[in-house]
This record gives sequence, structure tokens and C-alpha cells, in this order.
Amino acid sequence: MSNNTTEKVRASLQKRYFKEKVFRSIGVVAIVASLSFLVVLLGSIIYKGYPAFKASYIQLDVTLTEETLDVSADAEDSELRRANYLGAIRTALRERFPEVTKRGDKRNLYRLISSGAEYALSDFMMEDRSRFGQTHSLWLLADDEADALLKRNKDLTKPIRTGENAKNKDALITRLNTDQLGWLQSFKEAGETDVRLASTFFTNGDSREAEQAGIRAALIGSAYTLLITFVLSFPIAVAAAIYLEEFAPQNKFTDIVEVNINNLAAVPSIVFGLLGLAVFINYLQLPRSAPVVGGIVLSLMTLPTIIISSRAALKAVPPSIREAARGLGASPVQVVTHHVLPLAMPGILTGTIIGLAQALGETAPLLMIGMVAFIVDIPNSVTDPATVLPVQVFLWADAPERAFTERTSGAILVLLAFLVVMNLTAVLLRKKFERRW
Amino acid sequence: MSSAAEKAFEELKETVGRVTVDNPKMQAKNVDVFYGDKQAIFDVTCDIGKNEVIAMIGPSGCGKSTFLRCMNRMNDTIPSCRVGGDILLEGDSLYSSSVDPVMLRARVGMVFQKPNPFAKSIYDNVAYGPRIHGLANNRAELDDIVESSLQRAGLFDEVKDRLNAPGTSLSGGQQQRLCIARTIAVNPEVILMDEPCSALDPIATARIEELIDELRENYAIAIVTHSMQQAARVSQRTAYFHLGKLVEVGETKTIFTNPTHELTENYITGRFG
Ligand SMILES: Nc1ncnc2c1ncn2[C@@H]1O[C@H](COP(=O)(O)OP(=O)(O)O)[C@@H](O)[C@H]1O
Ligand SMILES: [Mg+2]
Repeated sequence: MSNNTTEKVRASLQKRYFKEKVFRSIGVVAIVASLSFLVVLLGSIIYKGYPAFKASYIQLDVTLTEETLDVSADAEDSELRRANYLGAIRTALRERFPEVTKRGDKRNLYRLISSGAEYALSDFMMEDRSRFGQTHSLWLLADDEADALLKRNKDLTKPIRTGENAKNKDALITRLNTDQLGWLQSFKEAGETDVRLASTFFTNGDSREAEQAGIRAALIGSAYTLLITFVLSFPIAVAAAIYLEEFAPQNKFTDIVEVNINNLAAVPSIVFGLLGLAVFINYLQLPRSAPVVGGIVLSLMTLPTIIISSRAALKAVPPSIREAARGLGASPVQVVTHHVLPLAMPGILTGTIIGLAQALGETAPLLMIGMVAFIVDIPNSVTDPATVLPVQVFLWADAPERAFTERTSGAILVLLAFLVVMNLTAVLLRKKFERRW
Repeated sequence: MSSAAEKAFEELKETVGRVTVDNPKMQAKNVDVFYGDKQAIFDVTCDIGKNEVIAMIGPSGCGKSTFLRCMNRMNDTIPSCRVGGDILLEGDSLYSSSVDPVMLRARVGMVFQKPNPFAKSIYDNVAYGPRIHGLANNRAELDDIVESSLQRAGLFDEVKDRLNAPGTSLSGGQQQRLCIARTIAVNPEVILMDEPCSALDPIATARIEELIDELRENYAIAIVTHSMQQAARVSQRTAYFHLGKLVEVGETKTIFTNPTHELTENYITGRFG
């Protein structure tokens, strides 16, 4: 009898182990698949995006005199600031390549230097007026096409891939012509080119010129928008969750509220954008394109997420803790603030970070309230026109210049870094609040 | 339950034995408790004397906890729960509109079945009640209250070197004594205990029983217990509940040696042999 049982168990054991093996390998395959997707995705973004963090500079001897700048030595500051720095740069380029005489060739030569270089030069001048009347050896930002070749360290003597050698895999893909490549090569041979960390990417706002376009305006815009979202949604959502979970009577009204909160979480985000446009901008006359409206709209979207997760966190606090506090004579509010809330805090924070992370990546509702504008100036307050990181990604992804492609990926990397920092903060806060019981 | 016992229960109109005492601390008068439509306590009248320990025994689900929780209005927080009749503390009704349940629970403390220390340090667990009620004027006074409460709960020597350790780091028996210390730190007049030893081992149980006996000098204590030995050891009077009715009340000795009602006898003999 017992032998029989052993036999049967043994027979079934093999089957069980086989099933377990199959189950486990399915799990491993799933993990490997999702990990490799992640690696491919991240890898391609990093590969495409890292050049955005580098910028090429060309060294030129620029003479800052009355002649080149069209302004006298004793001019007012404001006048000196608006002097003809472009002319000075062009003069320097002509002096570097005296053999270039034709008008068209000259124009091509000028195109090697970024049009933003004149502002850098103006700043350089204004820093110290005694620089007037002298010749300075300066590193100027290269234009985006030249920049693309220089920072990838391409061999500039190779042919350009056009027309007859369209199939030549080795050829350069560029919009520069052979003359321009030659001049660039000459700079390179003389050691007058340099690739550096692109500080402009982090200090500039958007620009039509790819090499000058930066993410600072979008980054600050995102930070302001999220700040408003957090300040509005966190206290309101936590208060709502506490009321519903700890104080509200169980009746039809609270049931309806609960159903509606869950529904709100499922409303497409663009609807919130339309609401923001109709109510906050058209009716309440709040400024268009401003983080304050963006923040309000996003907090409407974030509220249900935080409420739902906060309620779950409050529910998870053992009732025995509430009873203990009540039994000692704590008032209902004391029970919540002294005991329940501290224990629920880690869960509430997690929900908040998830909600804010969603808000950070949200694009559609912000397009509706005009945060899609071309923003050059860094916003200084929550009412200044601004854009946000995902909208900036959207804008750059749409731009035709090749240099914007790498900036698109670069902006995505910054967005991801922003997310990582947020999640890290959440983990640290959790650690701080977490208590054993 | 035999059919004879069933009949006896049906016929039960009044509690057997003397439900009143000469110097009552609390008096329950014709208490009915309903959870929604379902009645859990039927017309219970019973006193708790000063400086006495009264044990409440009976099969599970007979309403011992429900009755106990009426005495400090812990049932208020259950929305479906309604209480009829009246309960007096020192002659004043608990359920009159002038009584604040928060105030009341400072006078009638409670120890629960499962040790439930706060997620705070040992010190803060004990200091919590005095803090919210403003019982100490300064840190030194608070220190004194904490120390003497822990001492009376028989826990001080074991924890005096780690008052800042979390209350949850203690063993089950120590946690329950911490909960008792926490309750007596508020200096209540009555302590209600709902099966305080059911989650503890025999040694921890013995310590708590000793403690209850010492506490009787200063407090009125009502203890719900499943163990009849425990009831016999710690209590002066015993109340036997059955399906929401208070069947019999009397001197503990009498109840255990010579019960009057058939149901009480069934319960006691059923357990003992
Ligand atoms: N919160 C509640 N809601 C509804 N019914 C309850 C609740 N608490 C207890 N009861 C019911 O009241 C009766 C008495 O329960 P209880 O007082 O816990 O019994 P005991 O402590 O004697 O085991 C039981 O039938 C139980 O089902
Ligand atoms: Mg019970």
C-alpha cells in the first residue's frame, strides 16, 4: 500500500519538476527579452544622443578695432555691445584664407562658424573693455555641419557622397562642399579645431541654429511645471485620501466619489489639456504657455494617481495601531497625524513619484495650452512662457537639420536623467520615513 | 449544545447570581448592542467594583469583546454599531452627550489581544499618552512617568538600556507588557483587557498575571479570557456570557466550584474534563 503511494508520488514528481522547469524558463526568457529591449532602446538613444553633449570649436585670430567693429574706442557700453562683431569674425576668416576672393566662396567660408559666435564675441568684449584695439586668439563655436564632421573625427579628405558616388559607403554625408571641407581640413591640420563638452547645450534655450540650441529653457520649464504640479496635487490628494479612508462615512455619496476618482485616472490626458485651455486660459485669463497653467492641468491628471495609491498605503496600516492610539485617548486627527500617516508615508511618496513621473513625460495636454511655443529665453518664473522636456523632444524630432537628431536623443537622455534623480529622491525619502513595526 | 441546555438558554430571563457590588466603579445597565440588524448583546446588567478584577468568560463569539469595548466607547468607531441601555462610570453616564470619548478613554484604558506597540521607540510608546494629555510639565516629569510605568509593568529592568530601541524589537510578552505600561502611564481608573495573554507563552503569561494582581491595588480591571485557569488565578468575580446574554455572575471560587446555571456548569466542566 505505502509502496504504491511512493511509486505514484515518484511518477508525478517528474511531471511536477518538468512543469516547474518550463515555468521557470518562461520567466527567464521574459526577463531576458524585456532587458534586451531596454538595452537596445537605451543603447540606441545613448549612441545617438551623446554627440549632443559635445561641441566643436575653431580657433581664429580676431582683431577688435574701430575698423573691424565699426565703433569708436570711447563708445557707450550699449553701443559697444551692438557693434559689428559679425564683421570682425568675417574679417578674421578672410585674413586666415586670403586666397578666397569670390563672393560666393566667401559666403561659404563664413558658414563654417556658427552665427551665434558674434554674441559670444560681444560677451567677450564686454567682459573687459581693455580688450578693444587688440587681436585675440579665440575659440569660436563651429556651425552644425562642420561640428558634425569634427566631433565624429571624420576624415575630411574623403569624397562627398553625392550623385556619382552615391553607393560609396566610405564617402562623407554632409551638406558642406569640397572647398569648405578643404578649409576645415586646413584648420584641423593647424590644430585650430577642438571638441569640447557642449556647455551651450545646458545653458541655452531653443534656437533655430542647431549648434546653439540648448535644453535649459525646457529643463527649467519642466522643473517649474512639476513644482506647481507637486505643490497642488500632493496636499490635495493626500488630504482627500485621508478623508476618504479615515473619516468619510460609508454611503452612496462616498461611493460615487470613489468611482469618479477611479474614472478620472482613466481619462485621456488630452482632455485635461482641453479643459485647461477652456477654463484656465480662456475663462480665467491665466497666461498662455506658462508653467503655472501646465502645472494645474498636470495636477488634475496626477491627483487620482496619488489619491488611489495613498488610499492603498493608508489601508495597509494595521487597524491595531489605530485602536491602540484611540484606546489611549488620541483624537481622530491625532490618530492619523501621529500614527497612520507616518506609517503610510513611504507608500504615499511612491505614488506621488509615479504620478509626477507620468506628469514629467506628458506632452499632449501641454500642447493644448500652448506650451509648444518656440522658447529661446530661460523662464524666470512660473508665469513666463516656457516649454517642457518632452515637448522640446517633440519639437526637435520634427526639425529637418541633422544636428537636431542628436539633440533630440540628448534631450531624451536629460529627461531620463531627470526621472532617475526623481526616483532616487523617492528612494531616499522612503528610507528616511520607513519604520519597522 | 444539548437540547436541555438549549431550553435552559431559551428560558433564561435574568442573570443568575449577584450582578451588583457594594462600591461599584462602573455599572452596565440593561445594555443591548446591535451590529446593524444583528443583536450581539442582550440586556446585560453588571457592575465592576473598585479594586477588583472581574473575568469575563464564555465561548467565542458570545460577545465578551463587544461588551468590553462598550465600556470605553471603542465601538463608536464601528459605523454599524449601536448601543442601548446605559453604562455609568462613577455614577455618570458614558453615553450622555456631555461625555467626550477622548476624555473617557483617558480614564478607561484598554489592552488588546494582540500586542500592538506603536512604530516608535519604547520610550515614546509609553510617553505617548502622557504627551497628548499634557500630563507632564517637563522632560524630567515625563521621564519619571515612563520609568515608573515601565517599572509597574515589570519591564523596566529588561529595557532600561535601550529605551530608544523600537517597541517592535521586543519579544511578544515584552510587547504586551509595554502595552500595559503604555496604558497605565495615562493613569486611568479602569483597565479593560481583551484576552491579553492569548498570544503569549506560559512564562510571559505568568508575568502578566502577576502584574494584573499587583495592578488591582490601584485600578478596577475587567479581563476577557479564554483560559479558565487564568480567570481562576487572577479574578475575584467571574461573569459567564453565552450567545450575547450574561448567564451568571458570582465569586470566582463559587463559579468554578459550584456553578448555579446549567450552561455555566456545561462550559466549565466541558473545559476541565
Ligand atoms: N464589527 C462587527 N460587525 C459586525 N458584527 C460583529 C462585529 N464584531 C463582532 N461582531 C459579532 O458580534 C458577536 C460577538 O463578537 P465578539 O464580541 O467579538 O465575541 P467574543 O469576543 O466573545 O469572541 C459575534 O457574533 C460577531 O460575529
Ligand atoms: Mg473577542
